[in-house]
Amino acid sequence: MKDQLFRDILSRVAKPARYTGSELNMIKKDWEQAGVKMAFAFPDVYEVGMSHVGGKILYGLVNEKSRHLLERVFAPWPDMEAIMRAEQIPLFSLESFRPVLDFEVLGFSLQYELSITNVLNMLDLAGIPLWSRERNEAHPLVIAGGPVVFNPEPFADFFDIFIIGDGEEVLLEFLDKVETSRGLEKVEKLKRLAAIEGVYAPALYNVEYREDGILKSFEPRFAEVPARVRKRVVKDLDQAYYPDKPLVPYMEITHDRAVLEVMRGCQRGCRFCHAGIVYRPVRERSLETLESQARHQLQNTGYEEISLASLSSLDYSGIDPLLKGLVGNYGEKGIGVSLPSLRVDAFSIDLANEVQKVRKTTLTLAPEAGTQRLRDIINKNVSEEQLLDAVEAAFKSGWLSLKLYFMIGLPGEREEDLEGIIEILQKVKYIGDKYSRRPVEIRASLASFVPKAHTPFQWRPQNTMAELDSKQQFLSRRRRKRIKLSFHDRRTSYLEGVIARGDRRLAPVIYLAWQKGCKFDGWSEYFNFDNWQDAFRESEVEPEFYTGRQRPYEESFPWDFIDIGVSKEFLQEEDQKAEEGLTTADCRQEGCSDCGICLAMEVSLNIKGGNVDALEKQI
Amino acid sequence: MKFLGNLDMMHLMERSLRRAAIPYALSEGFNPHIKLSMGTVLPVGLWGENEYFDLELSQRMDIIDFRQKLSVALPSCLQLGECQEINDSAPSLMKIINAASYVFLLEPPFPSLDKWKEELLARPSLTVRSRGKKKGLDKELRTGIYRIEVEQSLNFGRVEIWVAVGEPVNVRYDELGELLLQTGFTQKSIAEVFRSGNYIREGSSYLSPLEVRLDKHTSPCGHSGVPPCGVTIKVGGMRVNK
Ligand code: SF4
Repeated sequence: MKDQLFRDILSRVAKPARYTGSELNMIKKDWEQAGVKMAFAFPDVYEVGMSHVGGKILYGLVNEKSRHLLERVFAPWPDMEAIMRAEQIPLFSLESFRPVLDFEVLGFSLQYELSITNVLNMLDLAGIPLWSRERNEAHPLVIAGGPVVFNPEPFADFFDIFIIGDGEEVLLEFLDKVETSRGLEKVEKLKRLAAIEGVYAPALYNVEYREDGILKSFEPRFAEVPARVRKRVVKDLDQAYYPDKPLVPYMEITHDRAVLEVMRGCQRGCRFCHAGIVYRPVRERSLETLESQARHQLQNTGYEEISLASLSSLDYSGIDPLLKGLVGNYGEKGIGVSLPSLRVDAFSIDLANEVQKVRKTTLTLAPEAGTQRLRDIINKNVSEEQLLDAVEAAFKSGWLSLKLYFMIGLPGEREEDLEGIIEILQKVKYIGDKYSRRPVEIRASLASFVPKAHTPFQWRPQNTMAELDSKQQFLSRRRRKRIKLSFHDRRTSYLEGVIARGDRRLAPVIYLAWQKGCKFDGWSEYFNFDNWQDAFRESEVEPEFYTGRQRPYEESFPWDFIDIGVSKEFLQEEDQKAEEGLTTADCRQEGCSDCGICLAMEVSLNIKGGNVDALEKQI
Repeated sequence: MKFLGNLDMMHLMERSLRRAAIPYALSEGFNPHIKLSMGTVLPVGLWGENEYFDLELSQRMDIIDFRQKLSVALPSCLQLGECQEINDSAPSLMKIINAASYVFLLEPPFPSLDKWKEELLARPSLTVRSRGKKKGLDKELRTGIYRIEVEQSLNFGRVEIWVAVGEPVNVRYDELGELLLQTGFTQKSIAEVFRSGNYIREGSSYLSPLEVRLDKHTSPCGHSGVPPCGVTIKVGGMRVNK
């Protein structure tokens, strides 16, 4: 197959390097000697999948630290897919060019709700039945992990297993057990695997719904299967595996650089933020670990840039010495440091200036809402003064372009909040024009708010597409010169919303949408909303049921059985405080706000630096 | 490696130089980059047997040491050929390279190669549709085709064509491919194409950039003791391992 691929096929597709494998630091293990053979599938194109840090962690973990084997698979771009289907080339892995069907485990990384159609498409290309119930012991075990699976229910019928929480904490244990359960009947195998904490096998549960559509019961079918599935947590990131020799692709990918994961989790408590809740508590890596990881990664990759990744990297307690060290050690060699997420304060701008002494292109800040009242509702603890201070500091020090992130459709939003967005943008532009010799460029990205499972806003209705449309128009009408507004597609937000709080009854819709040709739904050139609407109609599922209702507090949710550590009571209190416009302080600075996780999971905030300076400078 | 674009190739070399901890020189300015330049662009879909790069160093380095470090750092799809010091007055590769050779490996059925060569070279005009800047227009290649060597056995054929780069006419490999298709070959019979060399053509001799600069431009920069010093690097890709 490899022969045919290189000789006849690859010269006919765009970006053939997506399919050639053999990148620097690729690990190709001996197939015969290996234990469990797992294919790690990313349901998006190579450039996107290869940019994902979690994938790099699992790749190195399995291949370096165990006798099992893990090979990569990405979604072929439609041009390649067409040729593969015409020439009957099955989905294959990039290490050994073997069909995915040859593997024992096929694991998908689900980072985004709408990538599910790509999952189905990849299963189909692999020649694997799409429905879990149609697969037997001879088929690969199809599993998934990632942020989306904190509500796995809409996808429950397609997967045999979901892995909930930090993958590196559980994957090896899981693969060991797959190995010792070989030969068992599928249901027995699932039962054994489900005994591992963090492993959820949907086929082992019965779900019933009430007449009005609301969840009635969710119960294990066997006595030995746990009623709730608790997420897995890495307690100490310093002890967790992190790759020193990440893969270096030959072609340019979306995030083509060395990455330091400085911490996991975020304690700021923004009420709309899914990741901020499900990845609690905050756990940091120590300065020493990070410095050594930076050194090894740069030595082994030759990358020209190193980036600090996490939900809020500037909250890292050792940020100051870390950045100074990186710039000091590598700046001279032409290696840059990048900070993908900045906090909205002047201190952050100072730090950004320090690392980006020369390339002052675009700076990104996220005030999220247009007025203090609404920012209090969503618990985004940033004042207008802080924002304008940050902006002033940025323009004073030579930045020429600024990008601001906002959300529309937030709970409690009024017209004045939308006006507020425009006002902020005008003030920002005014400051920019004052300090900069050239006319500055202000861009605002306006996402639509999507209520997510396990967040304080999980009870709230989502704006309808018509509401979002009129809000978008309202803002567009008030737009000023040299302020660019870009809106997220409200139709994708709507679908995301349906799936984010969906249940098992969505499976036929997803299946139908895929059958009608939906794939790469995250890519505007392929997104086809009509197909989705038809799929809802034909399967007689009412999407508004999932997005449109204000859900009562007593309602049982399909995802309640996933134990994320943070209590439902805490989420409810947060929602009530939002209603009253009260904020909740950051538990790292102002003390525990009793979300419950530290006690329930015997974890704690793991703050390594204890860098009082940085803490004090935070406002 | 034949599927890499030009920019990807540069990245690959730069990253290899960093891994090898070569004391490369950096450009000044907003976006400092390694002072590395490629001889001629190797088109996507081709691999090259003899490709050249010039690199400026920030301090002089023993050439054997350089070779050793860089060859360890290069990915397995690239092989380091020769490395040679040059001084900074040496003209750039891009300026001096004026010819290249391409190899077409053939599978039967195909016409008699000797006869084909004779007839082709006897023709005063060889036109193809241009693939370069003047896309679609007719392009006269004859003056740019310098030399052809053929080799034929029962189930294998090899055609190597030396052509002009830049002046008098820039001959592209895909235009040569079309020429083959016009003169009796089929797409199926062309099993593989690669660039076998880049040259400085002087009269009837084809010199490699290493030879030329060795003769004319090497006054070892170490003598003055002042950087910058340069190195020309020759690398070759490898055929895809089947
Ligand atoms: S239990 Fe307290 S300290 Fe721990 S994450 Fe929750 S709020 Fe923060």
